Amino acid sequence: MSGLSHGARAAAPRRRSFARRHALTILAFLAPAIVFVCWFTYWPMLQGARMAFHDWNLWDLTSTPWVGFQNFATVLGDPVFPVVAGNTILWVVGSLVPQLLIGFLIALALRRRFRFRGVYQALVFFPWAVSGFLIGMLFRWMFNAEFGVVNDLLMKAGLINAPLPWLADPKLAMIAVIVANVWYGVTFFAIMILAALQSVPDEVLEAASIDGAGKARQLFSIIIPYIATTLLLTVLLRVIWIFNFPDIIWAMTRGGPAGQTHIITTWMIEYTQQGNYGLASAIGLAVMAILFVFCAFYLMAMRRVSRT
Amino acid sequence: MKRNRVILTASAATATLLALTACSGDGGDSGDAAGDVTLQVVESLTNPARTELIRSQLDAFEKENPGITVELVSPPTDQADQKIQQMLQSGTGIDVLEVRDLTVGPFSNNDWLYDMSDDLADWKGWDALTDNAKAVAEGGYFVPYGFYGLSLFYRTDLVEKAGFDAPPTSWEELLEQASAIQDPSHNTYGYAFRGGANANGNVVAAIEAYVADDLDVTDAFKLEDGSTIFSAPEAEDALDVYFQLFEKAAPPSAVSWGYPEMVEGFTNGSTAFLLQDPEVIATVQQSTTITEDQWSTAPLLTGPSGKAAQPLATAGWGIAQSSEHKEEAVKLVEFLSGEGPATEFAQGNSLVPIIASAADDDFYKEGPWSSYVTMTENPDTYINVTQPRGVSWWTEWMQKADSEIQQVLLGSMTQTELLESWDTFWTEKYASAE
Repeated sequence: MSGLSHGARAAAPRRRSFARRHALTILAFLAPAIVFVCWFTYWPMLQGARMAFHDWNLWDLTSTPWVGFQNFATVLGDPVFPVVAGNTILWVVGSLVPQLLIGFLIALALRRRFRFRGVYQALVFFPWAVSGFLIGMLFRWMFNAEFGVVNDLLMKAGLINAPLPWLADPKLAMIAVIVANVWYGVTFFAIMILAALQSVPDEVLEAASIDGAGKARQLFSIIIPYIATTLLLTVLLRVIWIFNFPDIIWAMTRGGPAGQTHIITTWMIEYTQQGNYGLASAIGLAVMAILFVFCAFYLMAMRRVSRT
Repeated sequence: MKRNRVILTASAATATLLALTACSGDGGDSGDAAGDVTLQVVESLTNPARTELIRSQLDAFEKENPGITVELVSPPTDQADQKIQQMLQSGTGIDVLEVRDLTVGPFSNNDWLYDMSDDLADWKGWDALTDNAKAVAEGGYFVPYGFYGLSLFYRTDLVEKAGFDAPPTSWEELLEQASAIQDPSHNTYGYAFRGGANANGNVVAAIEAYVADDLDVTDAFKLEDGSTIFSAPEAEDALDVYFQLFEKAAPPSAVSWGYPEMVEGFTNGSTAFLLQDPEVIATVQQSTTITEDQWSTAPLLTGPSGKAAQPLATAGWGIAQSSEHKEEAVKLVEFLSGEGPATEFAQGNSLVPIIASAADDDFYKEGPWSSYVTMTENPDTYINVTQPRGVSWWTEWMQKADSEIQQVLLGSMTQTELLESWDTFWTEKYASAE
C-alpha cells in the first residue's frame, strides 16, 4: 500500500512536468476543436442571449434597440403563457411515463432468447431512425378525421359511432400529439433498458429463483435496483429531449387549434417565424434556465439514490 | 526532441489554419483567372420538377452567354427563405435569388436587395410584360415570374346532381350550393373549408369582395377613406356567409384543415368546392379518383356588388446587393423574364403568366385555365388588388389571424370580436409605420 502511494507521489511531478513541457503542442492540437466549438456553439449562443435583450426583428434590422428585460416580461405576460406552460408539463409527463413503461416491457420481452430476436429488435428500434418531423406528418394523416386510419379502425372496432375530429378539438389534439410522441420515444427506452438488462447477471436471478423469489420480486428487488442508474439517466435525457422536441407537434398541429397545443418550443418557433428573434431568444434562455435547474435538482436526487 | 516539438506544433497550427480556411467562404468573389464569371442563383419554392426546369433555363443562358457559369442552390422549401436571409445577411455566396412578395419588404428594408430600376429602363423585354407584371417590376427589387390568383375549383357532376345549372358566382351562391351538396352520411362535403394554416387568406378574400366598391386597390387592407376593411359593416356580412360555410358545408375537422387536407379533400372526390391557386390544377389533373370531365374552375367569388378583389400573390427574380457581378446578374434576370423562358416557366408551374401575349396560347384558353382568362378580360369585375404582404409584421398578422379564426370556429370568440381585434391590430400597425 505504502509502496503504491510512494509510486503515485513520484509519478505526479513527472506528469505535471510533461504537461508543462508540451503545453504548446497540446494546445496547438486542441486548438481546432476549441475554435470550432467556440465558433459554432458558444458564439451563436452568446449572440442568441444578446438578442433576448434587444428588440431584434429579422424583418426590420434598421433598428435593434436594447430593451432590457422587456422581452421576458412580454413572454410572461402573454395570455397564452399559462396554456403553454401547462401543455409543456403535460407533454413531458404524458409522453415520458408511457414511453418508460412500454419501453421497459419491450426490453424485458426482448431480453429473452427466441427465434428471430434480432429481426424483432431491428423492427422495434426502427422508429428512432426516422425524423420526428416525418413522423409528425405521418400521424397528421393517420389522425385526419375523414381520411385517417385511426378513426377508421376505431369505427370498425365499434368503439366510436362517428369520426372524431382529432386535430380540430384542442383536447383530442393534445392526446393525438402525445400518442405520436409515445410511439416515437418508446424505442429509445427499449434500447437503453435492454442494454442495461444485459448487465444483470443470470446467476443472481437464478439464485433468487432457487431461493423462491417470484418474477415480480426479482424485478423489483434485483433487476430495477441493478439498472437504476441507467434508468435515472435515461429519464433525465428524455425529459430534456422531450422538453426540447417541437417536431411532432409542429408537423401535426403547428400548435393549434387556436394555440391550444403549443408547448414552449413550438411557441418559440412561432416567434422565429414572425422574425421576432428577441422574444424567441428570451424563450430560449428561459428554456435553458428551466432545464438547468431541473438537471441540478435531478442529479442531486440521483446522487442520493445512488448512495443508498 | 525540440525539433520534434516544433514540427508537431507547426503541423497542428497548419491543421487549424486549414480547418478555418475551409470554413470561410470565398468572400463572394466567384470570378476566375480567365475573367469568367460564376453566378450563384438561390431558389426558394424548391421542388424537383421545378428545379429541373430552372436548371434547363440556366443551361440555355450559359449557352447564350459564354464566360458566365450559373450555379443553382436549391434549399428545401421549408428552410429556403431562412437560408436566403442568412446568405444575404452574410453578404456572400448569392447573386440572384428568388424574391417573394412576402420577403421583398423585409429584404429591401434591410438593404439586402439591389434596385434594378435603372437597368430595367433599357430592357427590351419590358413592353412584353402584362400590366400586373410591370407594376411589380417597377418596384425595382424583382421581376415577377408569374402570379398566383384564386379561383374556384368545383365538381361539375355534384353541382349538376344538386340541381344547379352553373357553378356559383358569388359567396352567397357558394353557400347555397355547397350546403345543398353536403351529405356527411355519404362522406360528401360541400366546401373544402380552410381552418388551419393560412386560413386568413380566404376570410380576407371574402371581406374584400364585400367591400370591393370602397377598396383601396393599392393596399387592400384599407378602404379609400383610410380605415381598415375590418371596420366596415359589410365585413360582418361577409363573415356571416363565410362562417356558415363551415357550419353547413364542411366537416367539423376542417378547423385544422390546411393546404394538404383541402386539396386531398377535392382530389379524393369527397369535397365539391375548393378555393385555391392555379398550382393545384396540375395536382387535380393527376387525381385517379375524379376524371377530367368531373371538375372545372370558375372565377373568384363576388360580393353583393357583383365584384371580387383578386389579391395577386407573386414571386420573381431579384439580385443581392452584395453581388459583385451585378451586370451579369441583371442579364440573367432579363433572360429568365424574357418571353420564351417566362412563358415556359409559368406553364410548367401553373402560374398566371407575366407575358401579355401568353394569354393567346391555347394552353390558357381552354379547360381549367379559362376562368383565369375570364378574370383577366373583366378587370372591372375582378379587380386586381395589392395586399400589404411585404410589411414587417405580415407573419405576425397571419399567425394571429389564423389562431383567432380557429377561436371563432371553436366558439371561444365571436365574429364581431374577431373583426374588432383585426381592426385594432392593423390600425395600430399602420399608425406605428407612419
